[in-house]
Amino acid sequence: MKLKIRLSEKLHLTPGITIMLILIAWGLFVAMVRYANGIGAVSNLNDTYSWAFWISFDLFCGVALGSGAFTMAAIIHIFEIERFKPLLRPAILTGFLGYVMVIVALLVDLGRPERIWHMIVYQNHHSVLFEIGICVMTYTTVLAIEFAPVLFEGLRLPKIAHMLHRIVIPFVILGVVLSTLHQSSLGGLLLIQRSTLHPLWWTPILPLLFFISAIVVGLGMVILESSLSSRALHRGLEISLLSELASYIPYGLGIYLLLKFADLAYFGDLHYLFSSGMMSVLFWLEIIVGAVVPIIMFSQAKIRNSANGLLIGSLFVVVGLMINRFNVSWFAVEHIRNLPLAPDFMTQTSYFPSFMEVSISVGIVAAGVLAFTLAAKYLPLFEEEEETAVHEKTSALPRIQVQSGD
Amino acid sequence: MSTTTISRRDFLRIAGASVGALAVGQLLPVKVAEAARQAGLIDVDGNGYISTMCEMCVWRCGVRAKVENGRVVKLEGNPEHPHSLGNLCARGQSGLMNTYDPDRVLTPLIRVGQRGEGKFRQASWEEALDLVANSMQEIKDKYGPEAVVFSSTHNLSQVQFENLLNAFGSPNYGTQRSLCFNAMIVANQMTYGLEEPNRSYDGLKYLILTGRNLMEAISTSETAALSHAIDRGMKVVYLDPRFTKTAAKATNWLPVRPGSDLAFHLALLNVIVSEELYNRDFVQQYTVGFDQLAAEIRPYTPEWAAPITDIDAETIRRIAREFSDAAPNALAHNGWRTSNFVNSFQTQRAISCLNALVGNWGIHLLPAAAEGAGLGVPPQPPYPRVSAMRMDGVPWKYPLVPFKLGVFQELRNAMLSEDPYQAHGWFISRQNPVQSLPDRGKTLEAMSKLDFIAVVDIFLNDTAWFADVVLPEASYLERYDPLNVVGNKAFIRQPVIQPQGEAKSALWIYKELGKRLGLEDFFQYEDEEDYLRQQLAPLGVTLEDVREKGYAELPEEESDPFTWNTPSGKVELFSDTLDRAGFSAVPAWEEPPRPVDGQFYLLTGKVGQHTQFGTQNNQLLHKYEDEPRLWMNAATARELGLKDNDLVKVKSEIGEVNITLWATEAIRPDCVYLTPGYGHLSKGLTTGYGVGASDSVLHLSFTDPISGSQALSQTFVTVQKA
Amino acid sequence: MANKNQYAMLFDATRCIDCRACMVACSVENNIPMDKTRIWVSGIGVSGQYPNLTRSTMVYHCMHCLEPDCASACPVGAWTKREDGPVVYNSEVCIGCRYCMNACPFGVPKFDWDKGIVEGPLIDKCSMCAHRIDDGLEPACVATCPTDALVFGDREELIAEAHGRIAAHPDRYVNHVYGETENGGTSYLVLSHVPFKDLGLPEGIGDEPLNTLSEQYVGNTIPVALTWATVLGAVTAGVHTYKHKNHKAESLVKETAEAAEEEIQ
Ligand SMILES: Nc1nc2c(c(=O)[nH]1)N[C@H]1C(S)=C(S)[C@@H](COP(=O)(O)OP(=O)(O)OC[C@H]3O[C@@H](n4cnc5c(=O)[nH]c(N)nc54)[C@H](O)[C@@H]3O)O[C@H]1N2
Ligand SMILES: Nc1nc2c(c(=O)[nH]1)N[C@H]1C(S)=C(S)[C@@H](COP(=O)(O)OP(=O)(O)OC[C@H]3O[C@@H](n4cnc5c(=O)[nH]c(N)nc54)[C@H](O)[C@@H]3O)O[C@H]1N2
Ligand code: SF4
Ligand code: SF4
Ligand code: SF4
Ligand code: SF4
Ligand code: SF4
Ligand SMILES: [Mo]
Repeated sequence: MKLKIRLSEKLHLTPGITIMLILIAWGLFVAMVRYANGIGAVSNLNDTYSWAFWISFDLFCGVALGSGAFTMAAIIHIFEIERFKPLLRPAILTGFLGYVMVIVALLVDLGRPERIWHMIVYQNHHSVLFEIGICVMTYTTVLAIEFAPVLFEGLRLPKIAHMLHRIVIPFVILGVVLSTLHQSSLGGLLLIQRSTLHPLWWTPILPLLFFISAIVVGLGMVILESSLSSRALHRGLEISLLSELASYIPYGLGIYLLLKFADLAYFGDLHYLFSSGMMSVLFWLEIIVGAVVPIIMFSQAKIRNSANGLLIGSLFVVVGLMINRFNVSWFAVEHIRNLPLAPDFMTQTSYFPSFMEVSISVGIVAAGVLAFTLAAKYLPLFEEEEETAVHEKTSALPRIQVQSGD
Repeated sequence: MSTTTISRRDFLRIAGASVGALAVGQLLPVKVAEAARQAGLIDVDGNGYISTMCEMCVWRCGVRAKVENGRVVKLEGNPEHPHSLGNLCARGQSGLMNTYDPDRVLTPLIRVGQRGEGKFRQASWEEALDLVANSMQEIKDKYGPEAVVFSSTHNLSQVQFENLLNAFGSPNYGTQRSLCFNAMIVANQMTYGLEEPNRSYDGLKYLILTGRNLMEAISTSETAALSHAIDRGMKVVYLDPRFTKTAAKATNWLPVRPGSDLAFHLALLNVIVSEELYNRDFVQQYTVGFDQLAAEIRPYTPEWAAPITDIDAETIRRIAREFSDAAPNALAHNGWRTSNFVNSFQTQRAISCLNALVGNWGIHLLPAAAEGAGLGVPPQPPYPRVSAMRMDGVPWKYPLVPFKLGVFQELRNAMLSEDPYQAHGWFISRQNPVQSLPDRGKTLEAMSKLDFIAVVDIFLNDTAWFADVVLPEASYLERYDPLNVVGNKAFIRQPVIQPQGEAKSALWIYKELGKRLGLEDFFQYEDEEDYLRQQLAPLGVTLEDVREKGYAELPEEESDPFTWNTPSGKVELFSDTLDRAGFSAVPAWEEPPRPVDGQFYLLTGKVGQHTQFGTQNNQLLHKYEDEPRLWMNAATARELGLKDNDLVKVKSEIGEVNITLWATEAIRPDCVYLTPGYGHLSKGLTTGYGVGASDSVLHLSFTDPISGSQALSQTFVTVQKA
Repeated sequence: MANKNQYAMLFDATRCIDCRACMVACSVENNIPMDKTRIWVSGIGVSGQYPNLTRSTMVYHCMHCLEPDCASACPVGAWTKREDGPVVYNSEVCIGCRYCMNACPFGVPKFDWDKGIVEGPLIDKCSMCAHRIDDGLEPACVATCPTDALVFGDREELIAEAHGRIAAHPDRYVNHVYGETENGGTSYLVLSHVPFKDLGLPEGIGDEPLNTLSEQYVGNTIPVALTWATVLGAVTAGVHTYKHKNHKAESLVKETAEAAEEEIQ
């Protein structure tokens, strides 16, 4: 039973889409300024804050939030828990779009984007960033392959789609391996910053913490993305599936918290918990928002089984992770300005992302959302939902009309 | 550098004009120094090293200039030159930026607007030189040669500047000396019969520096010598109301009350004499007047000095003992810019006597050879007799001031007062009196009374801004100058690159002016190279050799260091000359004025990144300078309700300036300090204009009657929020 | 391990007079734009209370680490530690990711923020004047230093010299040569009369190069990937076999399997 693809259907310029288009256009404009006049022309990045908003948001958050794809792919293809299948395609798409967004953002952030291929040619096998670069490039390709069947189905080329389906397992395994590597390696990226990253965050097990949190946020993202898209696209919500996913989250977060605090205790850094001023605040914010609250919420079946509960709980997970990634890659990095060294004209003593800087990231996100919307409209993204999804009427969720094929 | 508040945008503005130091030069056409190429100093592609001399300050370190494709790209210290010993200071390193400064004046300029409007038109040398010569001649014809004032600050072509002045017949010559070290020079003349003995730090164990900020007011080799001696373990006592970079290296920093150094030194003399710590042999054999000195300084006990100097008696006594213990490896440094108070001459005398008492002569103080000795000079007729008296009162008011060099601030005062007579013209070379003289308002007023002003400079400096004609000299990397003797070597300055634009050497300019003034016979040299050949003639070396090697060796002169050019032939602790001129014959206390409540001593003093008033436009120095701020003691600032970086108004009796405040621990609570050389009036200095404030606006003119020294720390100011 | 006979620079804070000749020399020698510098003197300046004051200056530029973090971090290997000491940059390969700036514990590399894609922004930092070393000259900053606060020479000899100075004047120096061991050792060595942290040098950076851990981490990539892939393959196969057996035997996941099959069609 398949969804009729209505490529012929006209795209209406709804207010939402119009806003997306405006944001994209503005982002493109700012990007042009950046290419013409340099990164300094659009951003407040400087020699003290050489990595800040873009890297924290686009790279660190972007990659982590794209982890739903490998998590779901593993659950469905490797563990063959097939009842989650309806969640797979949107998760893969979200992941794929997420990675494309990361790459686009990097093309803005790199000083010399035209040389991005140098990573492939001039390999530095000691560099974590090199590893991430290669993994991200390869994994994006893998995601494209994983998602390709949907595209070909959409294009009414079922033969090719079928063929691709058959070979998907090795790619799924490859994808999981690559994801494991680069999700952890984003943490690995910061290992070298032992002297500048605050001890509340720096630990040799950063890669492990990154990996665990990526899996958790992968689940969170699937829930969040389903909740949001169901509302935006007026689609049914797979509450029982999502609720089951949500029930895993407290375990993941529990392991994370255990490791985190054991690690702080092991390295004798517990005293920083309350003695580091702003750093302590940021740390607790991240822990409470990203771990404590979701653990409490998702331990309760009532919340897990309500659409609002899922939405809000997953939001906590996602926002908490974002705080964590911002902390490790920006806020908790002791910038060299703290060393009273450079003359003022060399060292900006402060940094706050500029409007233009943020608008590039916003434009990229808008493009991602638009792409997702279009995909949802034109591709068989939410197939089989009629059968498997348990539609629940909630006041916030109007029943959605889905035109099905037969 | 933390005090730099130049924003990134400022730097971009500057960088916009010039991406990198050398890019600036690239805006100008390359002119390979043809002669250097022919001489084989640079190869066919225009690459090589050329030996020459720095002119970023009067120390004149030896330089090896690196030339690439005919462009000077780097300056290195010449290891063979005793002043550089292979090192250049920040200013010396930045020298090529002066040459390649986009603000260089590269053609003669003739004023078209009002004086001070800064409107000039470019002119040919013919026209400009004719105009200068005609104007000078006209004044001479109408009012006599004395109506033209000549002034210049120490430089290598100064002999020919003086030649022009003497041939022209004016007695009115203004030099920087009365603003700089006259107190020291006259004191040494009176004591040792020479201007400034050489100092040796070899084996020195104890040094007293009185406001000689050697780590910032840099003379590369002496700064290095001091540093190495400190490394070795030499003790340094440093007197300065400010905690300077020298203070930071001293064993003992004494934040002395300004103007009271004399009391400190008198007390040292007192202890050394009364405790009989002096070098008996030296005193007996080589000095005169010990008994008079001993008698006169009896009242000056450490207990007497303590409340005057704010240095406790115990410390003074200890230093006196340590100093004499270290003798003869002890030295009291005279200082250099000793123009601080009207009693500075007495301070200098006390220091000179202190050295004599410990007998360090011949060990750490050495006789200095006369400038230019042993070199040839172009022949010339005798100078015309000068009948007019000097305007500035030398010697009729200032009998002991070296006649030739005068009292600059008094010269300016006389221009203004027209007493004893009126001046009509001013010919200035390599000097910036609008900034360097105290009381800028007075200087500008004096200039406004003149019929004609001509300036020889490489920039449109503040003085040139008010001139009628500006004659562009080739920069020191573009020209020849007369040889400079250091030790037993005569060093050469030679073109590293061809002069840019129409710029010409001073040797050429003075000769051309001489020609037009009918004084051709006084300038008997074909060109610069001919001048140098005539200088070298007695040595029997060729110019080519000297260009290659960088210097010519002079025959070593054996002379007995233990004879002095004083009336008595000995070191004069008691000076008959002073006595007869009606001044105290031995060092004696003179009470300097003090600020009243609410007022501060206004201090001035050099920074390591600039020279006087002429380098603030150098982009490389601007890049690394500290923002000039008014230093004020942090506690005092708090009492006045002022904060760091507040904009404050500094007011003296005669002027006021606005400047940002630096609230710091590094200065006495009753003093403020302002870096000199900023607050330029000339908009022709696009980098330097608009930075900082000028202390010359605030400085009152005071002249010490003995040495003619201007008293630069004797101005008192109030400070309030602007 | 790093070459024993490599060049290094020794900076003695007790000798530095903050004249900045070194900075100007570097700017000229290396044609550094006016809004940039490769070397700077710390602005810590005066500390204490009038009249009991001290002053310290630190000339700060690349430490030329024996095991440079910048080089370890750079994804394209733009940094090379030369046998003879300098850590040098290859502008031809740099992609402008600025990871080296983050990785360097001393905040050394600087970036061209104001260059667009045509001008091509690059990283810049002190090269120890490698081009001068090749010509048999000292680095420009060292060559001009009037007080020999900066000296250049063989690293081992300079370390000996530094210890010699401490031994000769134990009252004058902190008894440590910064850079002898820090971050695995550096080719810029520092002597000081004030605690090194007052000079702005990161303390507690440790003797283990910062990159040891990350290099170990990256080194494990391939084995981890292979192991992980094997495990995942095995799990997939296992689950598959198990599930399909179960399916036949108990039809427990019948609907799911059908759905899957349908999808495959
Ligand atoms: N970098 C640099 N070096 C230079 C120069 C330059 O312009 N820049 N100029 C050169 C020239 S021409 C000269 S003359 C020398 C001058 O060099 P110095 O003789 O060192 O003279 P200044 O730097 O003018 O002033 C020295 C100190 O005197 C202090 N002072 C002021 N009043 C008093 C007082 O009453 N008693 C005491 N004890 N100290 C007082 C000031 O705080 C200041 O720190 O430097 C030469 N070297
Ligand atoms: N307030 C205050 N006043 C002071 C002092 C102070 O510390 N504070 N210091 C005093 C001392 S010690 C001195 S020595 C005097 C110095 O006083 P001045 O000699 O008047 O001042 P400088 O800045 O040395 O003047 C040098 C001029 O020469 C120009 N110049 C540079 N190179 C060349 C060249 O190659 N050829 C020509 N023709 N011109 C060139 C520069 O542009 C500048 O205009 O100032 C004194 N006045
Ligand atoms: S002390 Fe500095 S400015 Fe003066 S001559 Fe020497 S290098 Fe040049
Ligand atoms: S040149 Fe030497 S003394 Fe001057 S700032 Fe540099 S290191 Fe210090
Ligand atoms: S100091 Fe920084 S830039 Fe220099 S070698 Fe070490 S890690 Fe690299
Ligand atoms: S900015 Fe250039 S040199 Fe630095 S890590 Fe990235 S690619 Fe390497
Ligand atoms: S070694 Fe060369 S590049 Fe490095 S700071 Fe010194 S002069 Fe500059
Ligand atoms: Mo002077």
